[in-house]
Amino acid sequence: MSHPFTQPLVDRRTALSTLGGGLGSLGFASALQAAGELPAGCHFPGKAKRVIHLFMNGGPFGPDFFDPKPALTKYAGQRPEGADLRTERPTGGLMGVPYQYSHHGQSGLPISELLPLTAKHADDLCVLRSCYTDNPNHGPALLLMNNGTMTPKVPSMGAWMSYGLGTENRNLPSYMVLCPGKPVRFSILWNSAFLPSKHQGVYINHSKIDPDHMIPWLRNESIAPDDQRRQLDLAKRLNQNHLQSRGGLDQALEGRIEAMETAYRMQFEATDAFDIQREPESIREAYGSSHFSNGCLLARRLSERGVRFIQVYYGNGQPWDTHSGHDEKTRKLAADIDRSIAALLEDLKQRGLLEDTLVVWGGEFGRTPVTENSNGRDHNPHGFTMWMAGGGIRGGYAYGATDEFGFKAVEKPLHVHDFHATVLHQLGVDHERLTYRYAGRDFRLTDVYGNVPREILT
Amino acid sequence: MKAISQLRKGITGSLFFVVGAGLLSIGAEAPWSFTPLTEQAVPVVKNSAWPNTEIDAFILAKLESNQLQPSPKAGKRELLRRLHFTLTGLPPTAEEVAAFDPDKITETIEKLLTSPHYGERWGRHWLDLARYTDTTASWLDSTSSAFLYRDWVVDALNQDMPYDDFIKRQLATDLMPETPPIDNAAIGFLGLSPTYWKELQLPPEIIKTTVADEWEERIDAVGRTFLGITLACARCHDHKTDPITAEDYYAIAGVFASVKLASRPTIPEAEWRPIAKAREAVGKLEEQQKALKKKKPAPEDLDKQLAALTEKVDGIKMATPHYNVATVNGVEEAALFVTGKDDGKHGTKLDYHDGEARDLAMHKRGDPNNVGDIVPRRFLSAFPTEAGKPRPFTNGSGRLDLAHSLVDEAAPLTARVIVNRVWRHHLGRGIVGTPSEFGRAGEEPTHPELLNDLALRFIKNGWSLKWLHREILSSATWQQTSLATEAALRSDPGGKLYSHMPRRRLDVEVWRDAMLAATGELDPSIGGAPGDLESTSFVRRTIYGKVHRRDINKMLRLHDFPDPTAHSPARPETSTPLQQLFSLNSPFVIERSKALANRLTTAEPKTESRVDLAYRLLFQREPTATERSLGLEFLASGEPLERYTQVLLTGNEFLYLD
Repeated sequence: MSHPFTQPLVDRRTALSTLGGGLGSLGFASALQAAGELPAGCHFPGKAKRVIHLFMNGGPFGPDFFDPKPALTKYAGQRPEGADLRTERPTGGLMGVPYQYSHHGQSGLPISELLPLTAKHADDLCVLRSCYTDNPNHGPALLLMNNGTMTPKVPSMGAWMSYGLGTENRNLPSYMVLCPGKPVRFSILWNSAFLPSKHQGVYINHSKIDPDHMIPWLRNESIAPDDQRRQLDLAKRLNQNHLQSRGGLDQALEGRIEAMETAYRMQFEATDAFDIQREPESIREAYGSSHFSNGCLLARRLSERGVRFIQVYYGNGQPWDTHSGHDEKTRKLAADIDRSIAALLEDLKQRGLLEDTLVVWGGEFGRTPVTENSNGRDHNPHGFTMWMAGGGIRGGYAYGATDEFGFKAVEKPLHVHDFHATVLHQLGVDHERLTYRYAGRDFRLTDVYGNVPREILT
Repeated sequence: MKAISQLRKGITGSLFFVVGAGLLSIGAEAPWSFTPLTEQAVPVVKNSAWPNTEIDAFILAKLESNQLQPSPKAGKRELLRRLHFTLTGLPPTAEEVAAFDPDKITETIEKLLTSPHYGERWGRHWLDLARYTDTTASWLDSTSSAFLYRDWVVDALNQDMPYDDFIKRQLATDLMPETPPIDNAAIGFLGLSPTYWKELQLPPEIIKTTVADEWEERIDAVGRTFLGITLACARCHDHKTDPITAEDYYAIAGVFASVKLASRPTIPEAEWRPIAKAREAVGKLEEQQKALKKKKPAPEDLDKQLAALTEKVDGIKMATPHYNVATVNGVEEAALFVTGKDDGKHGTKLDYHDGEARDLAMHKRGDPNNVGDIVPRRFLSAFPTEAGKPRPFTNGSGRLDLAHSLVDEAAPLTARVIVNRVWRHHLGRGIVGTPSEFGRAGEEPTHPELLNDLALRFIKNGWSLKWLHREILSSATWQQTSLATEAALRSDPGGKLYSHMPRRRLDVEVWRDAMLAATGELDPSIGGAPGDLESTSFVRRTIYGKVHRRDINKMLRLHDFPDPTAHSPARPETSTPLQQLFSLNSPFVIERSKALANRLTTAEPKTESRVDLAYRLLFQREPTATERSLGLEFLASGEPLERYTQVLLTGNEFLYLD
């Protein structure tokens, strides 16, 4: 692994990091792609080419959806041993989950009545019931989930993916973050830190669905495409001229000429990619009309176009942070995500995309089985639920277990580092070998941790 | 000078200066960069006509031993553009190019070094290291006067404050009796440090980790900025490759456990005390007002109660002279203990003992809940004083002691690191390729003797950065052309041997400033509160655009501006399509294109002369015949002039410096 500022001979990684995503823009990059059976950046053949991360910011409660815990109703109001774990705030007795569970699909995966449409895809879901994290506070937990560490100083997982694998579509950025507003901690969650800045997530606030509201400077109303093409033709000739007068051998100059052309094409490609109004009415209808529906639909359009990593944050702030009125809020949130997620999975499947797209669902942590403010639930880092689907993941399966109250992961605990290792693994990347030398040492997304739970892989 | 305290007989028998002689051997062997600075014999070269300065002898000797020749001297225009950009970050005018005499380059260097824009350019380089921000998250303490630190840096560089003093003041000017209170702005280096959210409802075991993370952040910033070494990895274990122990780490961490981020006055302490008291009282009254407004049900006489409080607030403000005096983001002496709440209830207390300092116990494997022996605050054991032991930190928190150690016991390393940084900004590549990693994990120097020689002479010349600039810019090495031959590119890939100058992309600030200079709109005023880069009417230099730690302006963000959450040793140069969308479509670029078109139209009636003038304004030269005809052809097809100026402003020639 070379240091980007000092290595004179262009190795592949340096080429990737200096060419602005223009893979194939220079001969050697295309040659590499053509010669290897492996896509650039992969350590082994990966089952997934891209990832969609549905982020329930604030933290959902697993037993509401995928992790049935009848003991909560049985001992409601009590605080038996094991239900007194320390979380962020003072908590009371156990609070029952008022939803009925039934078994779904051939696998018989139990899913609660809150997600009737998603439940139809039970055989695609791998429910990770034993996730845990290190801190019961939003900031650190968000950072751990997104950046692999609790302090804001290292790259986000999307930046690592972009850095490691580049982009499949040179007309679009490789990492996009969709949020109708701003999640807590904001841009730190998709930063590139010491990786080249082109790897940072491109944040898109899709609360307005016009494409030119989403991508900075995507359109220029004052000029027609043909006129701009003429302008670019002139730019290209002058830049070529300049390059020739400087010996004709400057990669940086060439790279920028190429990037300018890409940008020109991107105006149309991105305008198309981001315009969900081009979808048929039936599809719009299937996804629903909420911000999250639009986010999911955008995620499908982007994954279809080869964007490597797409995060869809559920909403502004932390909508899943139900410290009070938990059940009432959860019903509304569930109804919203159920329809959109079911539509997304269906849509991906129909287009043959689900097999190489890894879909991930979860928050930064879970919630407590015990009450806060009498009808709310506090943050719970000890045990929580996520799920994965597609991209070489074993469907219709529940991995690991929490204790009888759903408080703490007790069986096959899966740390956030393990989650990261698994996502990278599905992309064909060994998390121990995706490194970057900075401040005197090799950094990794997973620090010195991370195990891939083989039994959830197909 | 105390640092150069020892004279030693060299091999040749003549007297040699030695800086930092007392190196202690512990654990891992000291890397090359820790060794004393010794006077170097200037190498003998074959092509004795080429060298201008001592630098050139070192560079040429190595080229010659590799059977290479230096490149020819850059042309007059290339040289002056390079000089202006490197020293001030602004382009020269065509008239300045015409008047420039390369044989009198020393005079030009001198003139540019006295330009106030010099401090702006080099100040920004420093701010990258110092993780400078104007704004932090809303839930953190206000940084509304952060710019006073930025202005302090600019001013200090313009005055050529000796670099050792520059360091000391940023760590401890408030403890230095010789500096006035206004100098407290310097502490922004520490005062604007990133802070991490400490949810005090959580138990102390968790908060202790967050607090320890903050100490690590400070140590990392100090270690990498001043010493070019990563002390932070000794938090969990002895440094694997350098002689830095975990004990060393906690000896320094104690300093940061003994300071608190705080607003500091810019007036004498005695005058400040009553103001601080008044502000505290006002703060409490304002809290009461807030609480009142939230009260449910609202008291019937709410307005009356609020008004009464407002009256009290106004009264205090009126009665306190200089109530609104500027304060700066600094630190004050206070030892922090993270404990449970006094009443034994849920949560954590951050217990600051004002005016006290504390030594930390070792955190075993970095775990603050598993502590070992107490380590007294002191400097790194690899850099003992003449007495043979690391300097103990006894003066309060030890900030000033730490600063003294950096520029005294660790002087060889500190000087090498800053000399290499300055060199890298001028030459495009450091003698050490890893500018903030001078330990064994970093790269070896390509020219260790040269770095040694420059660092030693830098100290002898009073740690003067302007001296260093003169030395580098006067060299034939720096004055080579960037039009490297194919042979030079092949035999000296990456320019490690300095057989030619690299072509370099302008930093985003310089690029934006150069556009404003070309259109004639640039407001060159120095210092003050930051402005909004989103506004197309903001035409001050980019260094005065607001930096928001959590929400960086998108133009900056997309053009490799460093993330201000951590020390940034160097900026990468990436070219991405999103950047080009800025060039194609952003209101800023479109406005500048129009402004330039207006300028051309106003000055010249004929299209042909407008094209010529554009080249003079942007590149300080006449267009070539091809360039002129391409421009005229484009304009003859009916395209508006502003579309042509946009092409020139966003073209490669404008962005890349030869």
